[in-house]
Amino acid sequence: MVIEGKKTKNSNYIIQVENLSKSFKLKIKEAGLVGSFKSIIKPKYKKVKAVKNISFNVKKGELIAFIGPNGAGKSTTLKMLSGILYPDSGKITILNKNPQKDRKTLSYNFGTVFGQKPQLWFHLPAIDSFNLFAKIYDLDQQEYTKRINYLIKRFEIQDIVKHPVRKLSLGQRMRCEFVLALIHKPKILFLDEPTIGLDVVVKKTIRELIKEINKKEKISVILTSHDMGDVESICERAIIINQGKIIYDGKFKDIKKDYLEKKVISISSETPIKLSIKKGIKNIEKRKFDLKIEVDTKKIAIKKVIDALLKENKINDILIEEAPIEEIIEGIFKKK
Amino acid sequence: MNLTKYYYIGKINFVNSFVYVWDRVASSAFVGLIIFIFTQLWQIIYSEGQIISGFSIAMMLWYFVMTESIVTSLPSIVKRVGAEIKEGQIANYLNKPYNYLLYQYSTYLGKAVFNFFLTFLIGSIVVLPILGGIEFNFLNIPLIFLAVILAISLNFILMMFLGMFSFWFEESGSLRMIYNKIVFTLGGMLLPLEIFPQWLSKISKLLPFSYIAYYPAKLFVNFNFGLFWQVIRTQIFWIVIFSGLTLMMYKIGVRKVSINGG
Repeated sequence: MVIEGKKTKNSNYIIQVENLSKSFKLKIKEAGLVGSFKSIIKPKYKKVKAVKNISFNVKKGELIAFIGPNGAGKSTTLKMLSGILYPDSGKITILNKNPQKDRKTLSYNFGTVFGQKPQLWFHLPAIDSFNLFAKIYDLDQQEYTKRINYLIKRFEIQDIVKHPVRKLSLGQRMRCEFVLALIHKPKILFLDEPTIGLDVVVKKTIRELIKEINKKEKISVILTSHDMGDVESICERAIIINQGKIIYDGKFKDIKKDYLEKKVISISSETPIKLSIKKGIKNIEKRKFDLKIEVDTKKIAIKKVIDALLKENKINDILIEEAPIEEIIEGIFKKK
Repeated sequence: MNLTKYYYIGKINFVNSFVYVWDRVASSAFVGLIIFIFTQLWQIIYSEGQIISGFSIAMMLWYFVMTESIVTSLPSIVKRVGAEIKEGQIANYLNKPYNYLLYQYSTYLGKAVFNFFLTFLIGSIVVLPILGGIEFNFLNIPLIFLAVILAISLNFILMMFLGMFSFWFEESGSLRMIYNKIVFTLGGMLLPLEIFPQWLSKISKLLPFSYIAYYPAKLFVNFNFGLFWQVIRTQIFWIVIFSGLTLMMYKIGVRKVSINGG
């Protein structure tokens, strides 16, 4: 049960979360026919703690990323913030209200874009969905017309709003999803994997638009993403969740400095691969013409490694990646 | 409470139904086929031109066209709502400023009205040339249509009520099956209740299911104001009762929603 405590006077924060916990009951079934019978007669449940005692605050207009591996509790936390899930214990205050109790009132202030759960009507033109949302959010017709014209122009969807959504490309569709989420001038925007499956150019446009809207309208943005590029270019602050606990809450730049010291380079070459540098390099995969290495950029500059690789080999293809999120988490644990 | 948003939700669903129009024509045509088979059956039974339980053959067949059109106008909401709860689709409704039950109602009513007219049209095409019309006062059409809308609404709320069990149980398939069969039989979709033994007929008339199929169809083939008022009153009574129960279950159930992943 959520208990609404005394209202806080600190108006700097629009979201306050204190000691939030949530667990799920999972039915366990033994394998086979006998197991099925057993689970009918006496079902067994396992309690899984998805979110364990987390606390954080969000200021007005802040851009925050929730990062963590699959099943870390990111989505569960977001769903409790938006009032969809009920916490077991702890307190959430958003705009001085309780999201579970005042879900309907608060929903006027929320916008959501879930990369995997589209909200546009698939067979109808996007403009029909926009018009419907204007009614759902009780918008004044005149204000809505002004707002929608601005958003359509800004997201450059003039030419596509009258085509059925199913005929649009993923990038066009996502731009329409964003417009849909912003129609009612929300104060908080929840983004769950908003750039999933998009190409580099569209990703960049969407990231820039998010930042622009944030600046202009002082919308707080809460983003979950696996894409470190999203996080890096949109958010100043990152909260890292692992196994239901917050293990880092601070500037993303600092994580980068402290933990993102490793990069992964994959190359393929026309000639058998050679690399004279050994310092700060760990082989992940080595074949005659292909190589995948992890470079510790604290020990050696990435440029030096690439220069050496280019000099010593006849390279066909090269790929440089950030270390995956799991690596960052491992790094944080090691430091502790 | 601002109700215009529900009107627009219904409207967009009505418009969206046109996308699936051929899909719907196919299922309505299938209902038309069933009506045709029953036409053949009843023609054999009625071969001596008699009246059965107060129904002439024309009344019997128009009755059947009506019950089929009402009952098949709604998809299986028990299953759909169950899936929405289980698969987490419900999250998209919960963070919007509308009432979940009214949202679903306007969604399905928009579709059901479309489906009802389509099936009724196809059923009429099947029955009309074989039997001709029935004695019918066209002034009663709005009143009968009101009873039909209430019948669809009652069917909707009963299915929503059963769908709410998905908050607690993993599978609602058997509930759905039993409900459908009850509407077919005790609801009077296949046969008018007069044909049943008297005790069963009495029980059926007391249950809410007969107000989905039997009573609106009976009004259609044999209208009288006394019956009309009784039907409308009872329909509203059951709708209010089950709306209350469904809302209560929803309020308790929604706290149990668990959406994993995604």
